[in-house]
Amino acid sequence: MLFLIAKRVLTAFVTVLTVIVLSGILIHVVPGDPVTAMMAQSVTATPEVMAEMRSQLGLDLPVWQQVVLYASHVLTGDLGTTIRGNEPVARLLFERLPNTFALAVSGLSVALLIGIPLGFLAAINRGRLADTAVMVIAVLGVSIPGFWLGLIMIQVFSLKLGWFPVAGSGYRNIVLPALTLGLTYCALVARMTRSALVDILAEDYIRTARARGLREHQVLFVHALKPALISIVTVVGLVFAYLMGGQVIVENVFSWNGIGRLAVQAMLERDYPMIQGFIVVFASSVVIVSMLIDILYGFLDPRMRQR
Amino acid sequence: MRSRLRKTALRTSALMLSLGALLTTLPALSADLTIARSVDADGLDPQKASTTQSLQVTNLIFDTLLTMDKDGSVHPGLASEWSMSDNGKSYSFTIRDGVKCHDGSVFDAAAAKASVDRALDPATVNPNLSSWGPISGTSVDGKALKLTLSEPYGPFASFLTSIQAAFICPSSVAGSEFKPIGTGPFKFASWTRNDSIKLEANTDYANVNPLVKNPGKPHIDTLMLKVIPEAVARMAALRSGEVDMVEPSLEEAADLKADSNFKVYSAELSGQQMLAAFTWKIKPLDNPDIRKAIGMAMNRDAYASIAFEGLVNTSNCPVAPNLFATDEALCATWGVTYDPEAAKALMAKAGYGPDKPLKVKLLVHKLPGWDAMHQIMQQDLAAIGVEAEIETREVAAFFDHMKGVNEKTDGEPAVWTMGMSGVDPDYLYFLWKQPGFVNMGLNADVDAMLEEQRKLSGDARAAKIHEIQKYLMENAYAIPLLSPGWGWLMASTSKVDGFTMGFSASLIFNDVTKS
Repeated sequence: MLFLIAKRVLTAFVTVLTVIVLSGILIHVVPGDPVTAMMAQSVTATPEVMAEMRSQLGLDLPVWQQVVLYASHVLTGDLGTTIRGNEPVARLLFERLPNTFALAVSGLSVALLIGIPLGFLAAINRGRLADTAVMVIAVLGVSIPGFWLGLIMIQVFSLKLGWFPVAGSGYRNIVLPALTLGLTYCALVARMTRSALVDILAEDYIRTARARGLREHQVLFVHALKPALISIVTVVGLVFAYLMGGQVIVENVFSWNGIGRLAVQAMLERDYPMIQGFIVVFASSVVIVSMLIDILYGFLDPRMRQR
Repeated sequence: MRSRLRKTALRTSALMLSLGALLTTLPALSADLTIARSVDADGLDPQKASTTQSLQVTNLIFDTLLTMDKDGSVHPGLASEWSMSDNGKSYSFTIRDGVKCHDGSVFDAAAAKASVDRALDPATVNPNLSSWGPISGTSVDGKALKLTLSEPYGPFASFLTSIQAAFICPSSVAGSEFKPIGTGPFKFASWTRNDSIKLEANTDYANVNPLVKNPGKPHIDTLMLKVIPEAVARMAALRSGEVDMVEPSLEEAADLKADSNFKVYSAELSGQQMLAAFTWKIKPLDNPDIRKAIGMAMNRDAYASIAFEGLVNTSNCPVAPNLFATDEALCATWGVTYDPEAAKALMAKAGYGPDKPLKVKLLVHKLPGWDAMHQIMQQDLAAIGVEAEIETREVAAFFDHMKGVNEKTDGEPAVWTMGMSGVDPDYLYFLWKQPGFVNMGLNADVDAMLEEQRKLSGDARAAKIHEIQKYLMENAYAIPLLSPGWGWLMASTSKVDGFTMGFSASLIFNDVTKS
């Protein structure tokens, strides 16, 4: 077990480091730099001022040097300061991280609460109308873009019904973005649940259970659901990663003050330290969550511990 | 007896509860105004901020030395009077008596000097440093701030009225971190980055700005500037009453204008000018006749009325209307007018026609209204046998790209569009003096004229600026299109009264009341 944990932690570390280096290079490949982005909105700026700013910000260094410099700073726990506003990146991110996690967890809960029962329903009615209906919903959920669903939610629940505020980060504000995220990703959960359960229902021990004359609901809820849930746990990490990605858009639609909002703004401004800081925190969150789930899975399923 | 008491108690508490509920649903009696913008400020230090969204906020907290009226004339601000020496190299500004900073300290000539010194300090990395001009010395003489220039600088007085020339109080920079402490109509209260900025009315405020009627404290008590990035969500917040005022999308502004429950405001004084320009170093656009023909094909009326829903005006000069020495009638006599037939004739003369179309790129960046304008423009050009391929970039990438394109002397010719804003025609200097903004500088003749106008003042300067504009237009280096054109719209519910927009799309809340 210890070996498994050590292996997972090491993989996580290497993954995050690779992400930092790759994203650092990619960011510099995108045309335009923070100084041009800033000056495009400024009335007057001489080439001298721009050159001065570039050298102050270290933007005149070769890309590899900037990336190495950044990676070494990150390893010592320093995420730098933003180009716009000159504020510590770490502080901006960590101030908003609770908001982002609150939304991610709420969205994930909605997705699981809707997705698991739907998947279950589809699996036990395999090939019948209910199965098809659930899968149609699943396809719809995957296909409907989050920003569109979000805007429709605002139109219906905020504007027409007046139940929830349009924008902000209060507790009443979380309902609509959480529903938007949950509805988008419940489809994924439903599909996973269905296929896990379908596999399990074909297992010998289920046939044995039925042969022993157990009632159908006992077979389903005691013998089939538990092992199915174990395999669902593994996909939660995957769903979480997707959810975090979708969250960047949903945060912008609902003006939710999380790190996704910071990221989009920073990308438009080419605020390199801010973008990279976001990527580091984002990647770490996804990697840590999937690592924890891997470890949790090890506890749940003894076979995993051998590997 | 006991049960009656209990009943009374129950009734009272029920009454209290419903009263409480009533009170919370009643509109707040204190005058609070909430506005929603698409982007947050990137900083509240006016000497470091570069975006309009930042300066819109700093302009509420800080004042300027001078102010500007609708006709471009200069009036007192923090300085009650000012004078320029005959050689144009030294200025004296008498600081108005009784001006107080938000922390209660006095704003005097020494404070003004400290603010200028910081604005000019290279360590500040002020993005507007060059606009301050060739200041070589600052000093205090009694109540007066004295500034010496190494050479005359014509646009100086205009610049001192602009939102880029805010004066900060010494207490702003007393600590290690900058604190937004100024003398303006609103005090800074709090800022949650990317969420909201809260400002409170400055009870000590005494106004001198000619664009403002209210002589004292703003009528509203608190001003909340929220960020709602999504246009649809912003409009929903306005319609649901969650906010009082928003930056509307162009399409929504057109709808709201027709609705009596809302008001739409347009910054006619924005100082913004949109223009089309050419890669004139690349053949055949080095031929002024071809540039003229392309200009003649552009139906500006259609851009204004269709692409911009009638929310902008056509404008004739390379500099925005309302600014110093901008004479729309005069410019109209220098520039090309919409005439596709004459344009075709010019193209035929240069050897282009239906069998041999001229292929160009139309290089543009994304903005509401602009996208539609470029599509109409593409059809306009096709009508005179110019095949334009539109290439759209996002703003930062666009200007980066143009820098390279404008340097080239061969390759594919391109027509491109851009916009510029300011409070003085001196932005011609920034754009066209070699190397120029994104390498769009022209030649030594233009450079000399641009240098010269800076050394002049009054009518002589106006004449020189006309000469430059005439040159740009007669040679068709610039085709003026429209004004304004970006971030110049605001919309409110009809409850809001007295809001105006000033120069550079600044927001003026001094006269605002909410019913």
